[in-house]
Amino acid sequence: MGILTDPSAGQGKITKIIIKYYSKISVLMYVGGVMWFFLLAYSPLNAGTYFSENALLPGLVKSEFRDESSARQYFDELQDEMKLYENSIPYPWILAKFQQIGLDTYTHNFTLNYPLGKANIKYAGKNVYGILRAARAGSTESLVMSVPYRPPSNIHPSTASSIAIMLAFAKHANRQKYWSKDIIFLITEHEQLGVQAWLEAYYNVVCGHRGVLDHGDLRGRGGAIQAAINLEFHDVNIAKMDIKVEGLNGQLPNLDLFNLATRMCSKEGIIHTFKGRENRSYRQGLKDWSYAFETMMYMVFTQATGIPNGNHGLFHRFGIQALTLEGISDKKSHYSNHGNLLSTGRVLESIFRSLNNLLERFHQSYFFYLLPSSDRFVSIGLYIPSICLIAGALFLKACGKWFRLYQYLVNLSEHGNNSDHSHAEDVELTSDLAIQENVNTNADINLMQIFGVLFFTHAVGIIIMNSPKVITRIGAEYNLNTETSVYGGFALMFAILLFTPLFVRIKSCYNSMTVLHVISLLELGTVLICLSMYNFSLGMLLGTIYVPMLLFIEPRYCRILSCIQKFIWIITHPLVVLTFIVFIFTYINFPGETFKENFGRSLAATEHALIFSIVDFMIYSNWLYGVVCCVIVPNWLCFWSILFSAPKPKTDSNVTKKDN
Amino acid sequence: MNIKTFVILILSNCSLINCASDSFTEELLIKPLYTDQIYTHFHFSTIWDTDVYTEKFQHTHLFPRALGEIIKRHNVQELHLSLTAGLWRYETWGYPITSAPPGAELWVWFKKDTEDVDKNWKELANSLSGLICASLNFIDTSNSISPEYSFRPNGVINDQYVNSSYLRYSALPREIVCTENLTPWKKLLPCESKKGLASLLNSGYIYNTRYHSLSIHFRPICKDLECGETSIEVKQYVDLVYDYLILGARNWSIRRLFGQGILGSCPLAKSSTVYVDTSSNSSLPFDLSPEPDEFVYSVRGGYETKFAKYEVKNESLSLYASYLENGKVLIHSPPVLHANQYLTGYGQEFGGIVTKVYNNHWNVIDVVVLQNIPWYIPIYLHTLKINSNGEVLKPLFIKYIPGKLRKRPYYVEIVLRLPPRSTTSISVNFEHVFLKWTEYPPDASHGFYISSSVISAMLPLARNITGLPQRGSTLSDSFNSSSGNGYFVQVHTETMVVTLPTPDFSMPYNVICLACTVVALAFGPLHNITTKRLILKPENNERLIDRVKHRLCLLVSKFKVRKIENVEPQ
Repeated sequence: MGILTDPSAGQGKITKIIIKYYSKISVLMYVGGVMWFFLLAYSPLNAGTYFSENALLPGLVKSEFRDESSARQYFDELQDEMKLYENSIPYPWILAKFQQIGLDTYTHNFTLNYPLGKANIKYAGKNVYGILRAARAGSTESLVMSVPYRPPSNIHPSTASSIAIMLAFAKHANRQKYWSKDIIFLITEHEQLGVQAWLEAYYNVVCGHRGVLDHGDLRGRGGAIQAAINLEFHDVNIAKMDIKVEGLNGQLPNLDLFNLATRMCSKEGIIHTFKGRENRSYRQGLKDWSYAFETMMYMVFTQATGIPNGNHGLFHRFGIQALTLEGISDKKSHYSNHGNLLSTGRVLESIFRSLNNLLERFHQSYFFYLLPSSDRFVSIGLYIPSICLIAGALFLKACGKWFRLYQYLVNLSEHGNNSDHSHAEDVELTSDLAIQENVNTNADINLMQIFGVLFFTHAVGIIIMNSPKVITRIGAEYNLNTETSVYGGFALMFAILLFTPLFVRIKSCYNSMTVLHVISLLELGTVLICLSMYNFSLGMLLGTIYVPMLLFIEPRYCRILSCIQKFIWIITHPLVVLTFIVFIFTYINFPGETFKENFGRSLAATEHALIFSIVDFMIYSNWLYGVVCCVIVPNWLCFWSILFSAPKPKTDSNVTKKDN
Repeated sequence: MNIKTFVILILSNCSLINCASDSFTEELLIKPLYTDQIYTHFHFSTIWDTDVYTEKFQHTHLFPRALGEIIKRHNVQELHLSLTAGLWRYETWGYPITSAPPGAELWVWFKKDTEDVDKNWKELANSLSGLICASLNFIDTSNSISPEYSFRPNGVINDQYVNSSYLRYSALPREIVCTENLTPWKKLLPCESKKGLASLLNSGYIYNTRYHSLSIHFRPICKDLECGETSIEVKQYVDLVYDYLILGARNWSIRRLFGQGILGSCPLAKSSTVYVDTSSNSSLPFDLSPEPDEFVYSVRGGYETKFAKYEVKNESLSLYASYLENGKVLIHSPPVLHANQYLTGYGQEFGGIVTKVYNNHWNVIDVVVLQNIPWYIPIYLHTLKINSNGEVLKPLFIKYIPGKLRKRPYYVEIVLRLPPRSTTSISVNFEHVFLKWTEYPPDASHGFYISSSVISAMLPLARNITGLPQRGSTLSDSFNSSSGNGYFVQVHTETMVVTLPTPDFSMPYNVICLACTVVALAFGPLHNITTKRLILKPENNERLIDRVKHRLCLLVSKFKVRKIENVEPQ
């Protein structure tokens, strides 16, 4: 408040401190932010998970599910049935089972018009679902249990046992009179595509680009969906239950749902893991921290891509809390009879009975969190300061540069006034000789030009975002496959855009370029904060990569330094970063290959990664690709132009020195 | 002994003299549905030969006096009230005897001479809420409409022309129905639940059902075919749908369904009958024991139904049905007309309501679709789209009264001619509204209900139809009652829950803390600025040491002065 009411705030001490020390303080802020983030995993600094929603009443009832034999029978029958259907769901068998159990049974057809490539390639799919109509309600609310069906030809591990347990649970549940929410048993085809199509049909909306995914229509519905549990059990005997939460665009389910799943697994004696890691306690601060930090970083990396790591991730957009239970079979330890069908069935029963108790939507507890282990969490209040510090470094630098420019202009005008009369003729003479100095002394901030640059770079971003369709069409004419043409096209555009600074006319004007620099810094800072509000991991990773570079980047006189800066900045181009990361991962995952093999493999992988992110953007509207194209690339281009701009005139340093 | 019998004689004579003109019948229909459910319908009707305009309801015999007083006081001509839990699944179960939406539904025709209909309506709802312990007091003008076409008077009316401004319709989809409603409902019966078929209504059993509905229907009827004089009639229904899976076995008995057998008829009843619909016997044969008194054949709209009839006498009756074979899967053909309703869109800004009406008939069917949408879900009429099998369908007529915030609901009534074998979808978009924070219910995050839409039609076929004809007041009246005009059915769709933007009520503490902090922080400087005078202070360029010195000097001088003061008086 003191600052608000102090009339001399503009010229006050704080301004002077900022002008003097901003570069040091911003580096300190960045380091502080990163340190803060590192410390989040340290268990005394985060909190233990707890139930916020009283209505869940977790585990209060006695488990009654004991129909293990029918689950086993379903499993055996399905194994036989699956052999008859190489590439699709054994629809008749599943429909017949649903009907025998007494569910309302429906099928759902959808079509994907593959957006890239030359011709209209269509893929058709079909989901099957049955609805258990709750006895105590009129289909106003429902819960979903979903399983992605994987035919034998699929490369992923089979999910047949989850279908068996789902059917056995449905059979048990349909005889109960306590249900107050319908339960939708959904078996989807084509992994995430099936779920996406089903959800779009359920809500009759199109999430991605129009005309890409034709979601079809549903005949049966169950009202407002409150929660969804996706099952991926790979075996009848389950050694560990991995709980997956990360959804599309980094959305997470309510922490209460995650807690519910972990507690119910513990109750039935199934070992649960998060990111494939059990909770461990070494009773040593550092070791505990590093273990927890590693787990947290796994979550951060998954979340940052914005790609859901299970079918649950697509439910989040519709306000449905969802997670995946992945049952991992442990071939080595067959001695344990813990994770058999009975226990998993009881876990499901407990979870669904708890969800059935819900009176309201999930609204308590946390929606934004990081998990260093499955029983501890970092809430948004704890982690947001770290990104604020990191982004704050950019704001501070922008502020400092602005103040410095302002001071420079003030000094210049004073200086100019003093020397106006005496050196009027000299100025006129020199102006003909050196345009640069003329611009400097004129001290004009050319706003039109600045906005021209900003507009141009962002327009380029939007063009790039929408270009893949055209690129692949052109590529197809030259008989290039989709992946190569997109990657090649992007690389070509990247190379052409490197020449942008040639066309920036104001690059010799220090003042205008400083304003551009300030605006670009502010833009990135704002984007980082906004991103981290929604997908903290993405914001954090972008922040840690880009902020130190940007704190370092400054137009300089020294040729070598300037070249180093340019080189570093090229390395941080999103396309280069992507290629680099994939290369490193390939090198780690396929050791012992020759460089040539490795190179070919990595290049193919990079091309695929690019295509996947574009297709995700078009079908699911995963906005990682959009953000990179519309914000990061234009911003990168702005800074690229700034690198070619004129550094601060040397005369000015003398001026400021004199004044000080 | 003599005196006792004498008193009883006198009493019974009294009642005979005063109210001999009324009668009570009780009936129970048990109908195994084609799916895994069994439908039971309790039908109690009381008819009293008196004029609804002149009757004072001061003294009644069989007619429920509590209800009569309310009817008299609020100038009611016709009253229909239903309280329902669960949803009737038209597609698999066919049509019920009376259709009711989930929750509470009340529609009332007031007499022509009623002065202030809205006031009477509000008061009537309050009285009824006291009578049957339901939250009908939430009914007021902000959620009531006067539908023009969907709800016509069921009973006798004086003139040809009906003015729907005397009609009020309202539905409370959130209302939960339970024993507390059943108990007062049973008290309206002449024998209450002590004797007769009503004694089967054990709350321990009848709530373990998939659908359960209580209703009260009051109307004036013709006394005889000439209709020279009128009578009044009150019908009380209980509709239950049991599930074999919940019951545990397909073989059902009265005992299994209701927890006890029939212990005898109500002594005040003119007749007490149990009917079992045995038309499903041809596909899934079952044996009834004991053997029925007789079989009643009813031909209606081209479809023959066979009922097993049991006269309940003053002795116990234990009905039992055993199925002969098991494990047959029946192919069921859905009824001619059914509908469902759902929400589209996600997020907290816009949404849509879609009503799908299925016509499985080979010919066109005219239907009236009524939607009563609460004021907090403002719909946009220009987004109304009606598509039938992919083509735009022009409605025959649309009546629309836009809602007013907190005053009046949105009322849409659409008359459609459904093409043969078609699926028609009626969609309209709406916007989410911010409510005042006091308008949220205690469980704010549960969502807000949109009541079901009502689809009314005259069907040409009577397949699956068991509804009463307009003249009928007992189940036996519906047998063999073919009608040339068609058979009136009403289909109620699902209710829907929509989530409006809800503030985080769970954190009032945080909100209060934050608000207080902000106020406190802002108050200090604002107070300073507004109350203190600003005076220019001479610039002080003294160094710290100088200032300290100055202070010290001041202190020393003060001390000296005090010393001098102390010294002087001496």
